[in-house]
Amino acid sequence: MRALWTLTVANLKSFVRDRAALFWTIAFPVIFIVLFGTIFSGGGTPEYDVAWVDQDGTPATGRMRDAVVGTTILVPVDQPDLETARAAMRAGEVDAIIVVPDGLGKALDEAASGGAAPLVQLTVYTDPSAQASAAAISQTVAGVAGAVNLELSGRSAVVGVQVESLQTASLGAASFFVPSILAMALMQLGVFAAIPLVVLREKLVLKRLSATPLRRHTLVGSNVVVRLLLAGVQTVIIVGIGIVFMEVGITGGPLAVAALVVLGALTFIALGYVIASFAKTEEAANGITQIVSVPMMFLSGIFFPLELLPDWLRGVAVLMPLTYLGDALRQVMVGGVPLVPLAVDVVVLAGWMIACLLISARYFRWQ
Amino acid sequence: MTSPTVARADRTDPDAETVIRVQDVRKAYGDVQAVDGVSFEVRRGEIFGLLGPNGAGKTTTVEMLEGLRTPDSGELTVLGVDTARHPERIKPRIGVQLQTAALFPQLTVVELMDLFASFYPRSLPTDQLVTALDLDEKRSARIKDLSGGQQQRLSVALALVNDPELVFFDEPTTGMDPAARHALWGLIADLKTRGKTILLTTHYMEEAEVLCDRLAIMDHGSIMESGTVAELVGRRFQDHAVHVTGLSALPEERLRSFPGVSRVADEGGETILYTRDVPGTIGAVLDAAEALGVDAENLLVRRPTLEDVFLDLTGRALRD
Repeated sequence: MRALWTLTVANLKSFVRDRAALFWTIAFPVIFIVLFGTIFSGGGTPEYDVAWVDQDGTPATGRMRDAVVGTTILVPVDQPDLETARAAMRAGEVDAIIVVPDGLGKALDEAASGGAAPLVQLTVYTDPSAQASAAAISQTVAGVAGAVNLELSGRSAVVGVQVESLQTASLGAASFFVPSILAMALMQLGVFAAIPLVVLREKLVLKRLSATPLRRHTLVGSNVVVRLLLAGVQTVIIVGIGIVFMEVGITGGPLAVAALVVLGALTFIALGYVIASFAKTEEAANGITQIVSVPMMFLSGIFFPLELLPDWLRGVAVLMPLTYLGDALRQVMVGGVPLVPLAVDVVVLAGWMIACLLISARYFRWQ
Repeated sequence: MTSPTVARADRTDPDAETVIRVQDVRKAYGDVQAVDGVSFEVRRGEIFGLLGPNGAGKTTTVEMLEGLRTPDSGELTVLGVDTARHPERIKPRIGVQLQTAALFPQLTVVELMDLFASFYPRSLPTDQLVTALDLDEKRSARIKDLSGGQQQRLSVALALVNDPELVFFDEPTTGMDPAARHALWGLIADLKTRGKTILLTTHYMEEAEVLCDRLAIMDHGSIMESGTVAELVGRRFQDHAVHVTGLSALPEERLRSFPGVSRVADEGGETILYTRDVPGTIGAVLDAAEALGVDAENLLVRRPTLEDVFLDLTGRALRD
């Protein structure tokens, strides 16, 4: 245990003092996330497209629609019925749905003419995984309703707002790419572990350490602990930026997310050890890590949905562990629509990890 | 500097003076028989050398002694421990020096030595070793900023962290410039005066001659001959060696007929005549050169060395 501790401290000191390694570990995910954030978020005052389902269709509700337009935050898009509107929201064409129930016009007219009118609820469907926009939309609708009630001064409120959740297939761009970038960072952290390992072997460091009483599982354990700590740091950075700057709502519990991060990191560290088992030189290790990581980055549904790939490439993508880590993280972190059930993701990742461990146990050479 | 643990182990050793015993050890990698029936012994307090060309099986032999590899057959006893069966028992008690000291380039000298110390059940105080290896000024320097000579001294210091009785040096000066090589020779000789037993492998004849009390010449996985440098040379050569170029055209029988010549060798076009009668041989060489119309200016007379022993044993020069 003492050796595990001292070796881990030595590894961490080495890492923190190596400015280049430190920079890339922290800066790489930040650069990616800022880049994607800039591409997808557009910037400027937010503007949300909302489906407008008017089941009443009287002039009074037409005036309410004008009030919604007047907010300049919401852009109503007329939809004939709730089903069509739901489809549009799932397809990402609108950010929310406002349903105006039958009878609202009559109630408003009665209230305006001094009669007693019942409370009529507007229903707003928002996406809980796009927390910030959901809040902005429902508050704006509440504002419109409040203004209408105010016009009918002295009376009890006629228009209420009821908010419903509708999980959409296409998450907001940020909600989609934050878990994706986390998955990619974990993949790289693990796979690239192969390079320093091969360097250590090439420079006979592994041999030198083998000549001491230090046990091999302590050496491996220390490397894994260091990588897991780095995975933790990257997770905090990526998720932190997502929450603070990209307004991504994390719906999953921290424990579930942490468990997936650990599983993903371990799987890819094991894959890194497999690469180090077959790469004889640093150059070979560099090449193999690129060959392994680049196709995975582009084909595992991180940058674009798998549906866009031709069938044969999709066949490749379903073999890749990153496909499942991305899917699992999107499901758990932002409630993304499953590609496969979460349990399948976990089983596939664990399967990859065990296979990689067996292969590296068989083929890894210390010198 | 000997610990109580070590003293106890010595009592169980049937022959207290023998530190390493290797008996008919074999090791193959696939079809290659790297070590093919090697036997030798190393005594307490001596510098023992395994001399041979690259690929002779020296490193494999040493790695088996260090507990890094398991032999296919044969017996290896180091400090009374069967290293093939219990590699973990020998590792705490030996020191291993590799040229690689750039283990953790971002750590400081003291940090790296403390780290190594933490691997061993007992260790010398880092300060003592830092001073002994003349690294005081560099205590807090990062490993990557050390000069070549300082890294070399650090690699020796790391081999001594656990105060071992036995230190292994595997090709310690390969690729070093002459100054660095001489500096390391000084350190190794110094360890001997402090009572350490040392086993080193080398393919440098001069290194073996300067450092080793006894040595074994290895080639193709076998030990050809062993003994002190004087024994190895004296066993074969009571003569002087006369070198000359340009006489390759002459048949060996003709050269052998020169006065006092007992043996003839050819090393890359250079003829070497081992002779008891140096003036007579030189006279005959000059006559032969004149008859052939070649220049005999490259004439050289010297005492035989390990190089000659190796050439005689294997039919080729070591310096290839």
